[in-house]
Amino acid sequence: MNGKNWLGMIPAILKKFAIVFVLLGLLVFFAALSPYFFTIENLTNIFVQQSYVIIAAVGLSFVMISGGMDLSIGYQMSLVGVATAAMMKWYNIPLPVSLALGVLLGICLGLGNGIASIKLKVHPLIVTLGTMTVFQGLSYIVSRQSVILNLPATFKFIGQGYVFGFIPFSVILMFLTVGFASFILNKTYLGRYIYAIGGNEEATRLAGVNVGMVKLIVFGLCGFFVAISAMVLFARSGSAASSTGPGTEFNCITAAVLGGISFKGGEGKMWGLVTGVFILGVLGNGMQLIGMGTYAQYIVKGLVLLSAVGFDVYQKSVRTIRHHAKITEAA
Amino acid sequence: MKASAALVSLRNVTKTYPGVTALRDLSLDFYPGEVHALLGENGAGKSTLIKIIAGAVEPDSGSIQFGDKVYERLSPHEARMNGVEVIYQEFNLIGSLSAAENIALGERAGMFVDFKLMETRARELFDQFGIELDPASLVRDLTSSQQQIVEIAKAVSKKARILIMDEPTAPLSVSEVDSLFRIIRMFRDRGVSIIYISHRIDELFEIADRISVLRDGAFVADKAVADTDRRELISLMVGRELKESYPARARPPAEALLELQNLCGNGDEDISFSIRKGEIFGLAGLVGAGRTELAKLVYGAAKLDSGSLLMDGKALHIRSPRDAIKNGIGLIPENRKEEGCFLDMPIDWNISFPSIRSISRHAIVDLKQERKMAEHFSALLRIRTPSLAQKVKNLSGGNQQKVVLAKTLATDSKLLIFDEPTRGIDVGARQEIYKLMTDLANKGHAIMMISSDMEELLGMSDRIAVLAEGRLMGILERPQFSQKLILELASGIIDMEVTA
Repeated sequence: MNGKNWLGMIPAILKKFAIVFVLLGLLVFFAALSPYFFTIENLTNIFVQQSYVIIAAVGLSFVMISGGMDLSIGYQMSLVGVATAAMMKWYNIPLPVSLALGVLLGICLGLGNGIASIKLKVHPLIVTLGTMTVFQGLSYIVSRQSVILNLPATFKFIGQGYVFGFIPFSVILMFLTVGFASFILNKTYLGRYIYAIGGNEEATRLAGVNVGMVKLIVFGLCGFFVAISAMVLFARSGSAASSTGPGTEFNCITAAVLGGISFKGGEGKMWGLVTGVFILGVLGNGMQLIGMGTYAQYIVKGLVLLSAVGFDVYQKSVRTIRHHAKITEAA
Repeated sequence: MKASAALVSLRNVTKTYPGVTALRDLSLDFYPGEVHALLGENGAGKSTLIKIIAGAVEPDSGSIQFGDKVYERLSPHEARMNGVEVIYQEFNLIGSLSAAENIALGERAGMFVDFKLMETRARELFDQFGIELDPASLVRDLTSSQQQIVEIAKAVSKKARILIMDEPTAPLSVSEVDSLFRIIRMFRDRGVSIIYISHRIDELFEIADRISVLRDGAFVADKAVADTDRRELISLMVGRELKESYPARARPPAEALLELQNLCGNGDEDISFSIRKGEIFGLAGLVGAGRTELAKLVYGAAKLDSGSLLMDGKALHIRSPRDAIKNGIGLIPENRKEEGCFLDMPIDWNISFPSIRSISRHAIVDLKQERKMAEHFSALLRIRTPSLAQKVKNLSGGNQQKVVLAKTLATDSKLLIFDEPTRGIDVGARQEIYKLMTDLANKGHAIMMISSDMEELLGMSDRIAVLAEGRLMGILERPQFSQKLILELASGIIDMEVTA
């Protein structure tokens, strides 16, 4: 009986973790095509390359689960990065203070997005479309359109350093971020509120939740993680330019949607998000190794996203039809 | 009976929804050149009837006839081809287009849009109505009476032969009603058949030629306006049997729990009454009388302009639903799915949601306590489900309502506001909800129950307050309960000296 039940659950498990199997499939596929792919060196490389994307995507997923959107995270990263670098290099502010102020700036940018969308009563998608341009302008003014070279070695450690000689520091930050986010979303009442607002905002308000405050916290958290992500990215490149960062938003949105964080909000899990980011990362890395050009990679990534979304919508409609059929039978 | 042939006839039409019979073997004829009013309580079947004529709803049996064409299934397109146009309470206009464009919408007039021609035709229509209105103005900039004129013009330009109007005077002021009636008479004299629905009995005597009374989906009587009066109409509407049985209970007098003093806001004006502990306080009124609006005021979900609330004699300051919940006021909203619960979330998640902070320690949800809470309330309310992890959208309407009730009870509410507690719920589950409400009242909870179901109001309430157009018309004690009296108050025909 038990064994039978377990067997019966296999289709459900396959469905639920479909994207995990996609990722495993990709790993096998590229390992077969390129002898270099499945080496510790290359896999570590993928982790390091994706760590900043995951940290930023975690920030974004708070906003998306609550039913919002943030298009400005790429330029938030750009502004936070150049501002932190300028503080360190041009104004000789001590590194820890610069870092703290940089993270604080990120939180403020996030809160700014939140306040604007609450006060203007406009969907965050539109608000952040506007603030994205504002942050872009600010970033180029702060950086004086120049590249800030030779960032301090201690700073570069965030993106390039290894702990115990073999664990990349950025990957540790990535795990901490994902762990913290899972904790907030799954264990705390704040997490419940975030899912609730994305699922049904009016019912949340009527249940006595201060919806505006939760949205602010969500945007603040997003800004916080985006700032951390900026530190990792800028530390890895070792120099700071305003053109670093933009583009990350679309990577993150793609990964989030792949990972099951829906546009309408109210659903999504951290493991899905992480899998989504790694699917994109493995695709990019693997296609590079087998000699596909950058532009061909764009096409493949776009098609992957479309098929993932299509699959999801198809599954949901099948489920709905089956459910209705069941109700009709019962009646 | 009539010299001319009917434009549209219903023959033995029956329509049932799960748990309710909306129309029962109904036959009616509508003649040209006549304003034919439909009258009945909420749920008497008026809306279903117009939807059937418009082809929006398919009857289970019976037929619809236009002259010698007989339809058993009528599509919206076929209805329109036969000259049926409906002006619903919610206008079907596009705000960002001009009045003229809205009127011309849906016509096929070649490849290009001739704005000049469109505006000339709209202007001609407005002139016929004797209305000053610029056809080029955007619909969203118009007042609701002007929008209604545009709706009517749209219907007329489609050569309507049967014009259905659902509560057309609801958004209008007195002078606007006069010009609406003038336009209606104009169409009547041109031979259009007008089907007119209104809750305002008074105005029927001004505009209608014939009045058909419906009750529980069945035809009751057909009266020429000249041969009847308001009292007779009301007694026809209410000659209803009480079929359902209601749980019996003791009704001891008790002190007041919540006092409303001169509440104004959200469309309500100067409302004062008090609700006692252990009491089921019914709130009656027609659709749009301001009952849900009052509930939202008390619950802090809408802004209070003036007036005050007292609980146990002490002043209450409620600015948000959160304040209300803290003070022991709970709302079970009218729209379960939109406002009451989270359909994609499990039952236990829903039940614990409003009280999640109180079962969290250092912001971390205590899952054991959550499970205990969910198990306790689902057992108490007998929520039928294989597992508490089941998503709420997979439950029946009755069980969904129990989930909403459970989450409200879990916040320790002393006053429960039920807005249409049994809407869309089948008969068996309805009895259970009544039993639960009675048990709660017996335990000392105060219950405010908004209901459009007369039977439910009379059967469940200890006292009934009647609202009309945002004002309190009277409060009835149990010995005074009568359908007729409530309807007279709700229609604004009489106004009792209010004693709270």
